[in-house]
Amino acid sequence: MSEVLEKISKAVIEGDEDTIAGLTKTALGEGLSAKEILDGGLMPGMDYVGAEFKAGRMFVPEVLLSARTMKGSMKVLEPLLAAGESIAVGKAIMGTVEGDLHDIGKNLVAMMMEGAGFQVIDLGVDVTPDAFVESVKKEKPDLVGMSALLTTTMRNMGRTLDALKEAGLRDQVKVIVGGAPVTADFAKQIGADGTASSAPAAVDLAKGLMGLA
Amino acid sequence: MRVNYQTNASTQFRVLSDDQLEEMFHAVLRVLEEIGLDVHNEEARHILGENGARVEDLRVHIPAYMVKQALSTAPRSFTVWARDGDPKKHLHIGPGRPYYGPGPTCPNFLDPTTGQRRPYLRQDASAVARVCDALPNIDFCESLGTVSDVHPSLGATYEFAEMFANTSKPIVAWSYDWQDGEDIHKMAVAAAGGQRAFEKRPNYVHYCEPLSPLVSNEEALNKLIFAARHRVPLIFTPCPSAGGTAPATFAGILIQAAAESWMGLVVSQLIRPGLPFFMGGVVSVMDMRTTILAYGAPELSLLQAGLTDLAHYVGLPLWTTGGCTDAKVIDQQAALEGALSVLFAGFSGGDLCHDVGYIEGGMTGSLQQLVMMNEAIGLTRRIRQGFEVTPETLAVDVIHDVGPGGHFLGEKHTLRHFKEFWLPELMDRRKVDDWEAAGCKTLGDRVQEKLTEILETYQPPKLPEGVPAQIEQILAAAEERVAG
Repeated sequence: MSEVLEKISKAVIEGDEDTIAGLTKTALGEGLSAKEILDGGLMPGMDYVGAEFKAGRMFVPEVLLSARTMKGSMKVLEPLLAAGESIAVGKAIMGTVEGDLHDIGKNLVAMMMEGAGFQVIDLGVDVTPDAFVESVKKEKPDLVGMSALLTTTMRNMGRTLDALKEAGLRDQVKVIVGGAPVTADFAKQIGADGTASSAPAAVDLAKGLMGLA
Repeated sequence: MRVNYQTNASTQFRVLSDDQLEEMFHAVLRVLEEIGLDVHNEEARHILGENGARVEDLRVHIPAYMVKQALSTAPRSFTVWARDGDPKKHLHIGPGRPYYGPGPTCPNFLDPTTGQRRPYLRQDASAVARVCDALPNIDFCESLGTVSDVHPSLGATYEFAEMFANTSKPIVAWSYDWQDGEDIHKMAVAAAGGQRAFEKRPNYVHYCEPLSPLVSNEEALNKLIFAARHRVPLIFTPCPSAGGTAPATFAGILIQAAAESWMGLVVSQLIRPGLPFFMGGVVSVMDMRTTILAYGAPELSLLQAGLTDLAHYVGLPLWTTGGCTDAKVIDQQAALEGALSVLFAGFSGGDLCHDVGYIEGGMTGSLQQLVMMNEAIGLTRRIRQGFEVTPETLAVDVIHDVGPGGHFLGEKHTLRHFKEFWLPELMDRRKVDDWEAAGCKTLGDRVQEKLTEILETYQPPKLPEGVPAQIEQILAAAEERVAG
């Protein structure tokens, strides 16, 4: 492995946001492609972080900092890609469903998915079924993630799924749901493709649905 | 009368000094005025704006003078009344009188018979209320769950109807929004004998929650406005987690929680000066492995004690937290975490200590935990009581009479005082032979026996004549509303 890729991995692991852009440019200067930087530097770093987190040796704030560092590199790489080309492992849109303003869980999953190489479009909070449908039409994502904390607003996940069906879009995307009151039974009942009990588990689920696990 | 003689009648416990509290108080005022909060409720924004707050779109900046005005009109001492007038069951909120009870809105429930985790049902609200009524150290009733087997918009309406019929202890009610809040209020007013009678003797408290950091949603403020207009004592309690939805430093999470709660204080006092208001906050750390808000963390007890000091410094009663655990079943973890937070809530003197009976970090309610914590509260109350130092208690005369080598068992002095010892109900102090002969039962076994006995035999005080029929009408009207 080239020295600069090792440095990139190390910067991701240590969450060194200040040096990552410079290191990425150095790697490009050495003739490495965006894909090579992702596969040889960024992803090995994030894989290490993921394993350390699962082992209980790294903690959520550190994982997020690593994910943000990785995003800092991606910002340098993305403009270099040809139109339509993507180095992301998948594209996801995420939002807290209509009537609900709770978003820390959704934000956490979004950031961790970015750390796993997904391109994430965050629709924010209080997202109506129509807004999800419009975004699926516009962005053509692989994955839709819905979040809710309240037992009342949880029902709007089902309504959003219905809206996707009515618009004829349901088969084009995988749909995952999450939030404290959401159970596997509930996810199945409303016809979602899955749920997970934590942000790291949600990333595993998303990767699995993309055939990457 | 002695000169310069200080007596401590109870255990003394404080986290923060007056100087630290003054600094924190001014930091809260700065957050409210300079940073402001997002208030997703037009009417609340209008009320705040008309009275001096700076409103920019959703963001509301509340100047210090408005906060101080609200603090000056909110009472420190008031009574929440038992619906049957039983003087032992009133909550006399005031300095040095901490009360305990369950918490709201767990999606799951440990079945009181089988111990299996399952969704919370309407019948559970009735069971929780009966058990609260029966347990001497549980002072108020909250449901420990969200009813899942009725129309989704009427969960809170049925929850209150079940609880109200099965305990006369004051209830802390929770609702989704204004309309079910109104259903609940009608039931309470029916038992009180009309709105005017209710205003004199409120028999329930309404619970609302802002979001962290620094946001209030439409429904929370709808409920608050309804409560203030109808003079329902109010709890406005955020649930920030240090490191997640609040700063990771403990002074930081406390001032943010106070700012979130005091926004509700200001709105409620503007609508109804003098409205009984509980400052609130479930303040704990985010577990950085699982991201849950840790209900069994030592930091919860420390932070709740700090928030209690801050509330009492500004003259507000506090809605505090204890008796809860992150354990999934009623095991040693549940006992240890629950008992420690009960003890610290008792020492710090938060006025209403809720979430007694929460397990699994608040995702499941458990009557087994509630019964076990009833014992922990009894123990805590005995410690809190402290002891007196007087000629009678110094007992020099009795020590003289017995002298070296005697014993105190037959002394009248012993007879006068031995009943001050706390007698456990569930803790086993027997000799091992007797314990074995009785079946080697663990605390968990004895908790379950006590719970089963209450559920099979205990009869709570009935509602006044005519009130059950009125409640039936209120429920029927609510069903019609959601059907139409």
